[in-house]
This record gives sequence, C-alpha cells and structure tokens, in this order.
Amino acid sequence: MRARGGARPGAGAVAVAALGTALLAALAACGGQGDAGRAAGALVLAAPRDLVAGPEDPYFTHRTLGVWEPLVTLDGGMRPAPALATGWERSGGGRRWTFTLRTGVRFSDGTPLTAEAVVANVERFRRIAPRPSAFFSLDAGMEAAYGKLTGVRAEGGKVVFTLAEPVADLPARLADFYSMIQAPSAFGAGGEFAGGPVGTGPYTLVSWSKGRQAELAANPGYWGGRPAFDRIVVKTVPDANARVAALRAGEVAGLMDKGALLPGQVAAVAAEGRFRVTRTPSVLTHYLTFNASRGPFADPRLREAVDLAIDRRAIAGTLLAGTATPGAPFLSPIFGALSDPGLRPVHDPARARGLVAAAGRPAGPVSILISSSETGQFPYADIAEVLRADLRAVGLPARVNVAEATKAVMEAGDYDIFLSAYSVPNGDPDYLFRRFLRSDAAWNRERNLGYRSEEFDRLIDRAAAAAGADERRELYHRVQRLLAADRPMIPLAYQDNPVVTSSAVRGLTQSPAYLVDLAGLAPAR
Amino acid sequence: MTRTLLVLLVLSALTFLLTSLAPGDPAEEILRRGGVQPTAESVAVLRGELGLDRPLFSQYLHWLLGVLRGDFGRSHVDRAPVAAEILSRVPATLWLAGVASLIAVGPAVLVSVRAALRPRALDSRIARAVAVTVAAVPPYVVGILLISLVAVGARALPTGGDGSPEAVILPAVTLGLAGTATLLRLLRADLAAVARLPFVKLAVAKGLTARRTVMVHALRAAAPGAITAAGIVLTELLAGAVVVETLFAWPGVGQLAVSAIRQRDIPTVQAYVLLVALGTVLVLALAELCASLADPRTRR
Repeated sequence: MRARGGARPGAGAVAVAALGTALLAALAACGGQGDAGRAAGALVLAAPRDLVAGPEDPYFTHRTLGVWEPLVTLDGGMRPAPALATGWERSGGGRRWTFTLRTGVRFSDGTPLTAEAVVANVERFRRIAPRPSAFFSLDAGMEAAYGKLTGVRAEGGKVVFTLAEPVADLPARLADFYSMIQAPSAFGAGGEFAGGPVGTGPYTLVSWSKGRQAELAANPGYWGGRPAFDRIVVKTVPDANARVAALRAGEVAGLMDKGALLPGQVAAVAAEGRFRVTRTPSVLTHYLTFNASRGPFADPRLREAVDLAIDRRAIAGTLLAGTATPGAPFLSPIFGALSDPGLRPVHDPARARGLVAAAGRPAGPVSILISSSETGQFPYADIAEVLRADLRAVGLPARVNVAEATKAVMEAGDYDIFLSAYSVPNGDPDYLFRRFLRSDAAWNRERNLGYRSEEFDRLIDRAAAAAGADERRELYHRVQRLLAADRPMIPLAYQDNPVVTSSAVRGLTQSPAYLVDLAGLAPAR
Repeated sequence: MTRTLLVLLVLSALTFLLTSLAPGDPAEEILRRGGVQPTAESVAVLRGELGLDRPLFSQYLHWLLGVLRGDFGRSHVDRAPVAAEILSRVPATLWLAGVASLIAVGPAVLVSVRAALRPRALDSRIARAVAVTVAAVPPYVVGILLISLVAVGARALPTGGDGSPEAVILPAVTLGLAGTATLLRLLRADLAAVARLPFVKLAVAKGLTARRTVMVHALRAAAPGAITAAGIVLTELLAGAVVVETLFAWPGVGQLAVSAIRQRDIPTVQAYVLLVALGTVLVLALAELCASLADPRTRR
C-alpha cells in the first residue's frame, strides 16, 4: 500500500492501550458505591459449601451457623454434652430416657422452649423421614438413632423417650442433627418449614442468597449472652484457590467448615503471620476396603501383606502434608476410650514379601480404585500411586483405576482395593459398624466386601445394648482387634480439619464434626 | 426452521440420555453427603420419589414435556425448581459475558486494523505476538495471575463476585482476553484476504488513503466474517464462563453448573446443557442472519 504514512507510527498500539485503560476506568467508575457489596461492620467468613439449605431441607441451616440448637451435643472427645438438655437419666435398663431441659430459654420469636416443643420436633422427624438433606440425611438410620421408639412425651416439664429395646447411649445418638429443636410454629402441617428457621441459638438468619451468602444477626434474647459480633456474613466459595485468595486479599476474615483448606495449602497459609490456622481432629478417616469376595484378597495373607506394605507415615506426613495421622485402630482417637490404644500401625515390607511368597503372587496386577470426585478434596491420585509403589515393592503389582461412579464398579465386583474417606457425624461407632461391616450390611453385601463374621455381628449387637461404659468400651476394643486381624477394611489415616482466621479474630474453635462456634468468635484486642 | 427444531430435539434426547446414563446412582449420592452410607431402603424410597425407578423412555418424555412448558424439574439437591434457579443466575452471567465481549472486541478490532494497515510495523508484530501468547494461556491461569497480582497483591479489586460493581472487572478481563485472541486471529485473516481483493486494489490505485481503504471498504467487506466470528466468540464466552465463574466465585449459571456436576444434581446439569446448546444454536443462527444482512451477496 502506498499511503503508509497515513497513520502515525504506533498509533494503533497507543489506541489499544487507551481503549483498555478507558474501559477499566469506566468500569471502576461504575463502582462508585465502593464496598457496598461487603457488609459494613460485619464479620465476613467463607465456607466451601452453602451452610443454608433452605426450606425443603429438614434442618434449613447447618448446625454450625448457630441458628438452632440441639438437645444434646458432643464435646471434643465425642462424648454427649448438654445443650438444650442440661441432663438425662436412664431407667428400665435403657428402655426409658428422661431429658431435663434448660430453663429460661426462648426461641427467636419470643416463645419459650417447652417439653411439648421438643416432642413436636421429634415427632416431626419421625413423620418426615426418610428425607435427604444437604447436611445429614434423615433416612432409615433414624432407627439407629432413636432405637425402636415407642413413644416420646412431655412429662412434668421433662421429655421422656420410651423404647421397645434398650439403647445404651441414646444421648450420643441424638447428638446434634438428630435432636435439632426449633419452635413448632416454624413448621407447617406436613412438617415443612413455614417460613425461616426459628431456633434458640446465638444467631438468627437474616437473609440468604442461595449459593452466595448467608447473613446472620445476633439473637438479642439468647440465653447464653450476646455474642461479640452483631452480624456475621458467611460466603459460599466452592473453589479452594478462590477461598485462599479471598483470605489473602482481606475480603474474608476466616475460612471454616469441612475442607476449608486443602492439605497442600495448610503449610503456606500457616506460615503467614497474619493468619491463625486451627487444626482439630475430625470424624473423617481414610480407609482401604478390600474386595474379599473373589481373587487375591479372599486370601487373608494377602490382605495382611497389604497392611504391612503400606508406609502410612509417608502418606499421612508427606502426601496429606501432616494434616493426618497414621491409622491403626478402626475407630480413630477422637472416639476417646472406645478407640483401642493397643493397636499400632506396623510397616514391615520384609514380612509382607514373605506373606506374598507364601500365598502365591496373583496372576495379574491388583486394582486400586479411587473416586474422581474425591480427588478434588484429597490427593488421592498421589496416594494411590504411592500405594502402588508400596505394593509392587512387596511383590504385588498394582494398577490405579480412577472412576466417576465407584459404586457401580464395586457392585460389579471389578476392584480389589478401594480408597475412600468416611465419617460418623454423630460419633456413634454402632452407626459405622452396622452399616459397613455387619454380615447383612447393604454396603458389605452389595459392594462385594465378602466379610462374614458371626463373632463381629454378635459383638456389635451386644455393644449396642451394653449398659455400662466399661462393658461397652471392652466390647468395642474386642471388635477393633477382630477387625485388625480379619482386615475387611483398614484405616489408612485419620484426617484433621484445618480452619483459619486472620489474626484480627480470636476464639475460633471447631469440633470433630466440623462444628464451629460462631458465638465464640471475637475481635482480637 | 425445521432443521433447527430437529437439531434441538436430538440435542434434548442426547442431553437427557448422556446425563441420565452416567454411571452412579443419584439417589445414593444425595443421601451420602456428609460421608455417611445410607441404607438400601432409603435409597429405594428416594429413587421412587425422584422417578428414577421408571423406564428411561418414560422419564425422558416426562422431562421433555416439562421442558416444553418451561419446567426443568426440581433440583435433586435441595428440591428447588431448576428453572427459577437458573433464571436467577442468568443476569450475573449475561453481565459478565457482556463486559467480557466489550473487552474482547475493542482490542481485537484495533489491533487487526492496525495490522492490516501496517503488517510489518513493530507494533503490529508485538500486538500479534501478545495475542498469540494470550491465546496460548488458559483462562484459568490468566485468572489466577490476575487474582494474585491485582486482588491479593495490590488489593485494587475484589477477588470475586462480592456484589460490588467493580467485581466484574477481573473475571471479565480473564474471559475477554480469551475472546480477544480468537477474534483477532479471525479478523486479521479476513482483513488480509479482503486487502487482496480487486476492488480494494482499485480503491488504492484511485488514490484513496490506506486508512480510508481499510476503514470503509475492507472492514465492511470483512464484516460478515467478523460477525460470524463474534457469534463463535460469544458462545465461547458463555462456555468459558464455567471456569471463570468458579475461579472468581461469580454467582452465575456457570458456577451453578459446576456445583451441580460436583453434586450429581442431574436435573440442573440437564437444564444447563440443554440451555447452552439452545443458546449456541440461536446465537449462531442470529450471527448468520446479521452476516447476510451485512453482505448482500449471501442474501440470495
């Protein structure tokens, strides 16, 4: 072209830059309201999931928001502790339980907490179950929680549960979600929520934008005194990197709830002086499950070989970045006295090799199955690779199979070892044993675990009805020693749950069931 | 028209089948949240409630009839109506996509015109190199860089959608840059092709300045191609919003889709996939229409 000089040199580039700047400036100018989107004066926290589930959910909000309170909660050792009930008495060998209520408690609508209100809540649960929940499903496990309940009634200001068969630890089973108490006026005739939640907790739900944020205000009538923060905003930020970015940018003062920080993020965040990382043991344990209904692992010697071949210390310390401790007894240390302290993790590749030699090396490689949905939360792909190397070192070649739908793969029997994490939100071991490993447990049968032990079945049935704490502890220790010898599943590591606040906030505590006490948060002086 | 309807019908069947036949039992997934294993009985009850126990074809018909009435069913996760949920998030996605398109179009037009005027000039070459580089970097990485430099480092802008108007800038720039690169490539090739056409050469020969030739004649001749390209870029933006919305906690349809996929919320995933497919078909049809209006030759 001839008239090249028609445009000044560099004019295009200048124009591009000018346009870009102008666009940004224009957009920034739109933001004249400044930080209007951020709640002024409120404490802003972020969680990986929405802690409000809405009116279709049996609970409406997660327990951690402190909008409602249960009759019974759990202490740091997963033992039942008073909440709205100050005490309980057992009679009739565990067939009758009487709960005494805290006095002077009012719901956030001003009505008093009465025994009749508690009864209405329990009856609502029984009426609407089974009902899925974003937090804690009300399913046929209702019976595991309430036992064979023949009646619940108000008697002289107390609440009396009567059962057809003895339940040794009803308070523990009712803890938290199974004993949520809200004002009966909060529910419609069918048991659905009539409006918002009406609880007795330190906070009330002021507004909720689904999938975005929940705004809480201090409940002025709270029996436990007024919390330090008048308003708390909990944002939902599902992406782990986005959560940490928001924390670093000072947009949120803390991250809480299950999986708030990924194991790999903990060290870096904790190293920054302006944050406080609180790590508490959780109810989550990583287990290896064997397909013992066929192939190599029907042979107990090979299950033992796997158990001895695994370097649990490396997995917990390196891959899980020290956010977990090596597993040994089936029940993690948070079960307190019920966990059997006599069991220790043993790493003995030499003995494992001997067992493989004695049992005969399998014809093909064994398969390690992991779920693609869990790989986002834990470094399961890396752990599976380390397991593969550990197994190969003792003469068991293995391959890793990442599946979207692990249930279908397991039901087809197309796996040898399955790596997954499980938790027991109400801290009750019976819940875990009865669902996973009893000879008639659906999980055991449908997923081809092939575990049949009359002794195990008998022991857990006895433990469920055991009257004394000592007897119960002894029975569960026997159960764990049996499982350590039979190895239908082996605990790989007990997972911590790290949460974090900026150092401008103090008082963050978290229970093993991921419950954060929002009312305990306060500005640092 | 018939063809479009047929395409949509096939799309609806594929969407339904692919998401419904995905392995795994949604009823169990729903009950398993929290890491607790549900009982077989409650899984069966929930399957019945969700209609998962009916034959697949009957499920599809039921779903399709609902969709035609604008009813996409209820979320498996919280039982809220899917259509209302998506509708409530559409404005956020449109706002993001709109700002992103502005960011995509401006630089793309300027740089391609400049390149057509002076293809060998240093700034044209730098602009091209930058465009190629940007195109090679995935939006996810661009987003993380912007977050760490602008939001965390300089604290100049929010890291994500916090409701404030300026929150749109970082996600829109991230999304827009991906569009800039595509648009620039297409536009530049078109302009270069047009510059070789006889009438442009004639215009130049008649003494028209290069700027006028490009701005008036070449750009106009290249417009149909550009409009089609813009259509493609717009559909790309809508699809790319999934990544960007997740990264920036932007409360749009893309973020909804990601969390629905994570939770195996099939009705929501089906509605999202179908609407994106529908949107793509419509945008491309609209682009075709605009292109034909701009270019009389294609109107026959």
